[in-house]
This record gives sequence, C-alpha cells and structure tokens, in this order.
Amino acid sequence: MKFKDFFTMPQVNSGAFQVWSRNFLYFKKTWLVSLFWIVLEPVVYLGAIGFGLGAFVNNMGGIPYIEFFFPALLSTTAMMVAFFEATYGNYTKLTHQKTYATIMLTRVGPEEIVAGELLWAASKGFFGVVGVTIVALFFGLIDSYKIILALPILFLMSALFSCIGMVFTSFARNYDSFIYSTSGLIVPMSLLSGTYFPLEQLPSGLRYLSYLFPLTHGVAAVRGVLHDGTPWVVGVHILVLLLATWLFMNVAFFRIRSKLLK
Amino acid sequence: MSTNVAIEIKDLTKKYDDKVAVDGISLEIYKGECFGLLGPNGAGKSTTMKMMYCSALVTSGELYVMGLNVKKNFREIKSRIGVVPQEDGLDPDFTVLENLLVYASFHKLPSAEAELRAQALLRLMKLEEYQDRSVETLSGGMKRRLAIARGLINSPEVIFLDEPTTGLDPQARIWIWDFFKHLKSEKSTLILTTHYMEEAEQMCDRVAIIDGGRILTIGAPKDLIRDLIGKEVVEFDTNPVDLNYYLGRLRAEGYSYQVIKDTVSVLVKENQEGRKVVDLIASDKIFIRKPTLNDVFLKLAGHQLRDE
Repeated sequence: MKFKDFFTMPQVNSGAFQVWSRNFLYFKKTWLVSLFWIVLEPVVYLGAIGFGLGAFVNNMGGIPYIEFFFPALLSTTAMMVAFFEATYGNYTKLTHQKTYATIMLTRVGPEEIVAGELLWAASKGFFGVVGVTIVALFFGLIDSYKIILALPILFLMSALFSCIGMVFTSFARNYDSFIYSTSGLIVPMSLLSGTYFPLEQLPSGLRYLSYLFPLTHGVAAVRGVLHDGTPWVVGVHILVLLLATWLFMNVAFFRIRSKLLK
Repeated sequence: MSTNVAIEIKDLTKKYDDKVAVDGISLEIYKGECFGLLGPNGAGKSTTMKMMYCSALVTSGELYVMGLNVKKNFREIKSRIGVVPQEDGLDPDFTVLENLLVYASFHKLPSAEAELRAQALLRLMKLEEYQDRSVETLSGGMKRRLAIARGLINSPEVIFLDEPTTGLDPQARIWIWDFFKHLKSEKSTLILTTHYMEEAEQMCDRVAIIDGGRILTIGAPKDLIRDLIGKEVVEFDTNPVDLNYYLGRLRAEGYSYQVIKDTVSVLVKENQEGRKVVDLIASDKIFIRKPTLNDVFLKLAGHQLRDE
C-alpha cells in the first residue's frame, strides 16, 4: 500500500447501493433476532448498570450515574453492532458464502462491495443506536433536543468501527482470529474508555493509553454534546474520529480489494 | 478484429506470486460457437476462464471479450456476459426467487423486468415450484440449475460455464447437457470447462486441450480424433511378461499405441486395419472400439494422477 493510497478517495458507483440493499433485504427477514441483540442487550445493560449499580452511586462527574453512563452505552452499542457485522458477518460473505465472489460476476466491482458493506455495517450500528434511544425515551432518559446532535456522531462511530472491523476481516484466517480483536481490543475498550467511570480514575499511564482508543473519543464527544461540554474539545474528539475513519476506510478498501481481485 | 469473434486472446499469462498458472495462451473463440476448455486438474483452464469473465487479473498479454479489453472495459463486459462458477455461490440468506432478484439488481435490471425474467427462467429450469424455498434445502442438481438461471438473468451474449456438471448425478447431468443443446440451438456463445470427454465431444464445436498452462492442441473433436488417434482403437489387457513382446510386434507392423499399466490401446490409422491387430495379439480380453476424445486427452495430457 503506497502512502498516497491512504488519502485518495476510492472511485465508487451506484452498485454500492445494491450491495447495501441486499443486506437490508436480509435484515428485513431477520429483524426480530437482530432486535434482540442490537437493542435488547444494551437495554439490559442500561437496567443492570444504570439503574442497578447507579443506585449506589450518587453522582459521577457531577451528574447522576445513569446520565453519565447513557452516552457510553450509545457509543458502545454503535461500536459493537458495527464491529461484529463487519467482522463475523463480512468474513462469512467473503469466505464461506462466497457472496462477494458472486457479486463480482456482475458489473458491481470490489470498490462497490467494500463501500456497500461498510455503509451497511455502519447503518446497522446506527439502527442499534436509534433503537436504544427510543427505549431510553420511555425511561425518561432523554429530555433534550441535544440527542439529535449526538446521532450524527454515533453514526460516525458506527462507520469507524465498521471500517476497523473490515480491516480485521481482511487479516482473519478463520473465525477464531476474531478472538484477538474482540478480547484484545473491543472488550478492554468498552471498559476503559470512560464508559463506566471517568478516565481520571485510571492510573496516568493507562489514561494516556486510553486516548489511543477510538471509543474514548466517541464517548467523550457524545457525552460532551449531551451534557454541555466545551465545544472545541468536542470538536477535537470528532476530528480524531473523522481521521481514524478515513484511515481505516482506506486500509479496508485496499486490503479487501486485493483479496477479491487477484 | 472481425465481428464474428467473441473472445480474442493473445499470449495470455497469469502468475500467482511466482507460480505460473497460464503460460502464454493464444486463442480465438467465435460467436455462436460452443467451445470447450479441457485439461487435467490444475492445468490452468479455470484460471484462463476467470480472466475472460474478469474475476482474475491478467498478468500479461491481451484479452478481448466482444471487442472489449478486459483490462479497461470489465464493467461493460460483465454486464454482457453470464457466468456459472464452479462453486455455485448461491446466497444461503435468500430463497430461490430472491437469489435471482438480488443478482438481477446487481445487473441493474429494473425490478419489474427482473421479476418477469426470473419467473421465466425458473419455469425453464423446472424450479418454479421451489421458488420460495431456501437454497439450502435444494439438491445439488437443483442448485446448479439455479446457478445457471442466475447466469442467464441478464440475457447474456456469451455464457461461461466452469465445470457445469461436476459432482452431479447422471440424471441431473443429462438434463443440464440437454439444456445446453437448447442454448446452442438459440445461437448462444457457450464457453465451458469440463472433465467429461464424451460430453465435450458431443457438445463442443471446438475444444482446446490445456495442460501446464499451455494449449496442447485445438480443433473440432472429430478432427482431433482423426488426426491424433485414427479411425479405431484396439484395446487389450496383457501381463507384464507378454507386454514387451506384443509391443515389439506392434512396432514392427507400424502401429502406434498407448500403454496404461497392463492395458494397451493400439491407435489404428486411416490406412490400417483393426482386424489385423486382433490377429497379432493372443489375448482373450481384446476388442475394437471407436476412438474418443478421451484417447486424445490421454495421449496429450498423459495418464498420471493429478492432484490439485
């Protein structure tokens, strides 16, 4: 991969939309099972951690615990759903199901496949976010229009983790390979990115390390928007997310394209 | 280039890392022709075909499909051809009908047209009663028929079939070959790879026998058999002790032959007589038969076992 490949926008035509639609058609057939894991699971977290554990914590960072935790829950949902779709889901289509090889027999090429798949995983992550938001509305957790401002950031988070997942997919040798990314990256990140407690609680070495986690910036940006953070700080976090998305997207394009067309 | 050429290949090579899969092939395939690529496993026939249908990159050489360069105009080529890959590649997430409709959407067929075309193809392939079944529940023959229907959804000008009958039971094979005869009668250009010599002999107007990434010979099956084998084959079984004695006598009489273990096939030319061979050999396991493309194949590609 040449240096300039990191900065050139891939040429993609409308075939990407057909790839997205293929996934949406399947999603419509299986929405119930998807609903279970992409919405119900976060809601259980909300109940257990937010209300259960939160009852023992008076406030965290100056706000009630559940309100501290909620932005992290949204960010983690975006991350988890997009990441798992882009790893297990896409790996299956790349290898066992030969879905991509079959699509490539038509006028749709590798660029459209990657673009469509990334956009799909991002969309699915975003569906999860919207689902959790709607449930939270019933719990009375959303009392402000500010959630509208948070949603685009959460979509960006989904897009970022769909790109990261796709990069892992391009390196995977089998399903077990994803254990490295899940246990080595996703789980630690979901615990240490200012999700359940403020970053200030971490020893300073770990705290600086946690700034390398994309989730840290996502949580901070969403929390900042929902709880009146300093605008320029929120802007910096969003900028980090944008740059990381751009980088991983280009790597995903390059890696998957060279896997599909030899 | 003349307008009756469907595929034009000049000095085509394909390397995977350092391994040469296709080693300088030149070939022309005409419109309306049924063309067979024959060869043992790993000969390079599927790779050659993959480059034709733009699923593998060309390492060097020129390849034109309907006058379009595969290196530049692959999108247009792919929208005008139909491909039935070796592994069917059906989408297990969808039903039979959905498989066709989703694939049609990748070809950008308007949905009303796709629906009509899919229904017509399901009828043609005798799959209409299974249209709402998951593809996982289909038999091997049905899956292959569905893969063929999928390859035809965009009314292609050239149809590529990579080992279309491998792994199917005899009934399914016969049905599919009959269907190809029907396609042929409609003047479709068919390009296929196969291991089944007798079927290639019946179906193909011309064949190319490929081994080690090179074309060993190319021509009409009838002509290849006549030129390379002759008018008859006399086949007999013998034992290792008598073998050399018989071979000496055959050589003295000017016959050529192929030996596979203890079985000798004597190739009887136009100006020779099979009966006379029978008189030379004192074996009770001897018979005269018509030569086939299989004899040509074994003569050129040898008879060692091939591993992928």
